[in-house]
Amino acid sequence: MTGVEIVLALVKIIIMIAFLLGLAPIAIWADRRQSAMLQHRPGPNRAAVYIPSIAARGLVAGPAVLFAAVAGFTALQKLSDRAAYEGTIIGIQLGIVVAWFSLLILWRVIRGSGAINGFERLIGGMDPRNIFYAGLAAHLVGLFLARSIPRDAAPVSVRVVLLALTVLLLAVGGYGASRVPDGKVAIRLAGTLHPAADALKLILKEDFVPPNGDKLLHALGPILAILPAFITFAIIPFGDKLCFGDDGDKVFGFADLGLLQRTVTDSFQCNGHVVNLQVANLNVGILYLFAMAGTGVVGAAIAGWASDNKFSLLGGLRASSQMVSYEVALGLSLVGLFVIYGSLQLGPMVEWQRQNAWGIFVQPVAFFLFLAAQNAELKRVPFDAPEGESEIVAGYFVEYSGMKWGMFMAGEYVELLVSSALLATLFFGGYTLPFLFRDGITVAFGDTTVFQYKMTHLSVSILQVLVFFGKTIVISWVQIFFRWTLPRFRYDQIMKLGWTKLLPAAIGNMLVTCIIVLAIDSAPAGFHEGLAIAGQVTHGILVFGGLAAFVAIVAGLLEPVKRRQFLQSSAARFAAAAGGTKSSPQQA
Amino acid sequence: MEPLDLDISEGELELPSEPMMLNMGPSHPAMHGTIRIVVELSGELITKADVQIGYLHRGFEKMCERGTWTQVFPYVDRCNYVSPMLNNVGFALAVEKMMGVTVPERCQYYRVVLGELARICDHMICNGAMCMELGAFTPFLYHARARDIIWDIFEEETGARVTHSFGRVGGMAAPPTQYFKEMIRAGLPRVQKFLSDSERLLVKNRIFLDRLEGVGRISKEDALALGWTGPTLRSTGAAYDVRRAHPYLVYDRMEFDVPVGTTGDNYDRFMCRMEEIRQSMRIIDQALEQMPDEGPINIDDPRIMLPPKGEVYTTIEATIQHFKIVMEGIKVPAGECYSYTEGGNGELGFYMVSDGSGTPYRLRIRPPCFAVTQGLEQMITGLMIPDVVPTFGSLNMIGGECDH
Repeated sequence: MTGVEIVLALVKIIIMIAFLLGLAPIAIWADRRQSAMLQHRPGPNRAAVYIPSIAARGLVAGPAVLFAAVAGFTALQKLSDRAAYEGTIIGIQLGIVVAWFSLLILWRVIRGSGAINGFERLIGGMDPRNIFYAGLAAHLVGLFLARSIPRDAAPVSVRVVLLALTVLLLAVGGYGASRVPDGKVAIRLAGTLHPAADALKLILKEDFVPPNGDKLLHALGPILAILPAFITFAIIPFGDKLCFGDDGDKVFGFADLGLLQRTVTDSFQCNGHVVNLQVANLNVGILYLFAMAGTGVVGAAIAGWASDNKFSLLGGLRASSQMVSYEVALGLSLVGLFVIYGSLQLGPMVEWQRQNAWGIFVQPVAFFLFLAAQNAELKRVPFDAPEGESEIVAGYFVEYSGMKWGMFMAGEYVELLVSSALLATLFFGGYTLPFLFRDGITVAFGDTTVFQYKMTHLSVSILQVLVFFGKTIVISWVQIFFRWTLPRFRYDQIMKLGWTKLLPAAIGNMLVTCIIVLAIDSAPAGFHEGLAIAGQVTHGILVFGGLAAFVAIVAGLLEPVKRRQFLQSSAARFAAAAGGTKSSPQQA
Repeated sequence: MEPLDLDISEGELELPSEPMMLNMGPSHPAMHGTIRIVVELSGELITKADVQIGYLHRGFEKMCERGTWTQVFPYVDRCNYVSPMLNNVGFALAVEKMMGVTVPERCQYYRVVLGELARICDHMICNGAMCMELGAFTPFLYHARARDIIWDIFEEETGARVTHSFGRVGGMAAPPTQYFKEMIRAGLPRVQKFLSDSERLLVKNRIFLDRLEGVGRISKEDALALGWTGPTLRSTGAAYDVRRAHPYLVYDRMEFDVPVGTTGDNYDRFMCRMEEIRQSMRIIDQALEQMPDEGPINIDDPRIMLPPKGEVYTTIEATIQHFKIVMEGIKVPAGECYSYTEGGNGELGFYMVSDGSGTPYRLRIRPPCFAVTQGLEQMITGLMIPDVVPTFGSLNMIGGECDH
């Protein structure tokens, strides 16, 4: 292992830990503390940092000016024909994004603080959804417009487009900065400052150890709970392989880091040095993950025993028995997947999904089995009997306070994030996007290519890393839904479900999968081609479904909230009649 | 070959073990801070349970003997703090029964409407809290928001959201406000919407049904023997509702059904309450329809009702009358009586003795929760710890009322 490999490994570990530790407090806050926010209580969501307005203006104008400078600088450069052509297309699309997005923000500001001129009155009177739809339409029109520009006009058009983008960015930045109010400005970041305050508070809180408890084991419990959560992430690939060139010495040295290949082929022929975006590429693959995840429960069991409390003892017992009954189903539910993917390593699994179809399409039953077993393994609702706050108070961590409690919480939510990452890797294509290959976007069904767009190695890699973390966040968000909606099982019902429903279903799924795989292997060649096209069709469905879902979600978020007045209280009427400030009708 | 342990009896082979004693409460999340259950466990199975009440004992009955009859109203508010208006109405009816007076018709409708609104709140919070304790938080939030709508109406009508102290002997503290009917007609559909939202999340949810069905079962005979009333009794199949069996106020003019269960388990209690909310809404609709818009609210008797404030300040007769009612209290004829109404949890009875003065000689409350809580012990014995939560939750024990 050369020095540069060690450094790269450390960088990857830091990325992984930063992602987990950054999102775990936010997940805890979203999962456990939002009841206060739902009740519109001033408090948690009001956690704010106050900065002087000059700094806030800088924050608003700074990025805009920076991007404007980049665009302007690019416009003055001499570009190759191809770069100029692509620059035109990208410049038009970026300009349209900036336009509709800043108009939406402006609409929001106007709603909050009122319009100050005719233009703002015009924008404020619009339905935000129409701004969004107009933006989408402009994207399409822009695409056709850019395609109709002749190739030889590209050097001129790219200058025009990029200079227009520069002016637009400067205008947006300047206008935004002028709209920042004077005086101190509160930065709330949608309430996410509150988790930061929570984490700080936990470190400073008193750490209570029960007088008759086992002090050593009491301290060991949280460590054992949090450690496996982190180290399981090591084998999950968060991006594709990178290919670095060689400077001639055939050894991977620091000088080679600058030689990232401009493009790679889809089959990934790399003459230099390959770097996996994965901390450890173990050949046992997912078996390591099962082994490590299973030890997480030891922490809960030890904590339950060492706390000298009957409630924690019950919690620890429940945790260990639950682990035993779900570990088997957890492993067996994935055997069908291994048979299809033909590997235990996560990297090849993702590759298979890129080539064929996402795991959710080939093994839908396994997905639900795995989801249930994994939630049971993680002690999350509806399987959170070991914690069961209304039955055994807080279960195994009832006697914990301060940062030891914080470690249990962090461990649980790091596990949630890791499990989401694992779900994304196994069933949702990992870091891949449909039709995104190593050399760019190729939309092809069978032998007919519908659309092709070449991209550089670097941009594909960055896109894939972002896609992976994005998928992880979305899946964690869905998992948090469960906790808010479902009641919890009784302890014996959990056991019964695990042994009598999930386990037989997992074995049945395994058998059926094996039979189908054998049948397909002996099928004629034409059938295989049909299967390949079916896989591409699933990718097409995903693309269209994803875009439609994006439009629907944004339009839904932008839908103006209708507050129907149903009761105007006498207090409000009285205050309004007296010219008071409480003029708004009471709304429920 | 003979087994080695041939001469050792079966009992000696087992490890010595004794049942685990576990104190649940009073500061336990599911015990509402007002009750303690000492359970003997074998694993998670409850082999013996000892329900201990009294953590919220406040000497309610003794306190009542120290003030006038009217001054009892704030105390009954705090007996059942989930549906205080029903207690207000119940106590007002009890004193009126003793005096042999009847309030005007408009006031009777007014009391019915306010009482049924309180019953809706009561049932919603009971069901919502039970879901929350089972882990389903969202339905509870729906119910709490629906209750807020009703509380806004109460705030408009009485000036208070929780403890209204709105009842008076011979009437109510204030006539209905100008927008009374509009407010309720606009508010109830919203409540209905929240309820159906939460019901959609629950009644088809397999986990929720598994936790409730067949758990905490009690037979009709046992329930009757324990003196159960209200939704908990009706869930066992006995259709006893004071509003139907012994109509008071104007309930005999209302058309409503008395929902009954079949098995008396947690699910039946949950569904009975859900259905009773609907029936209460029906009653409110009819009462609003029939309630006259004009007419007196209070009975016209200077010995019972306070004179108008304007007269108190200007005429000597009214000043004296005001003074005597406030300082000495309303004179209730000597004697004793038992009056009962349908409270949030069942038959709410007041047994009172008067010596003819303005102060109750003795007042005894018959809280529905007290009888209901007696049954908890036999219901949870043989169940598991997690079953205590929905079983206790579905009984809707209100500490203030149970411990009077």
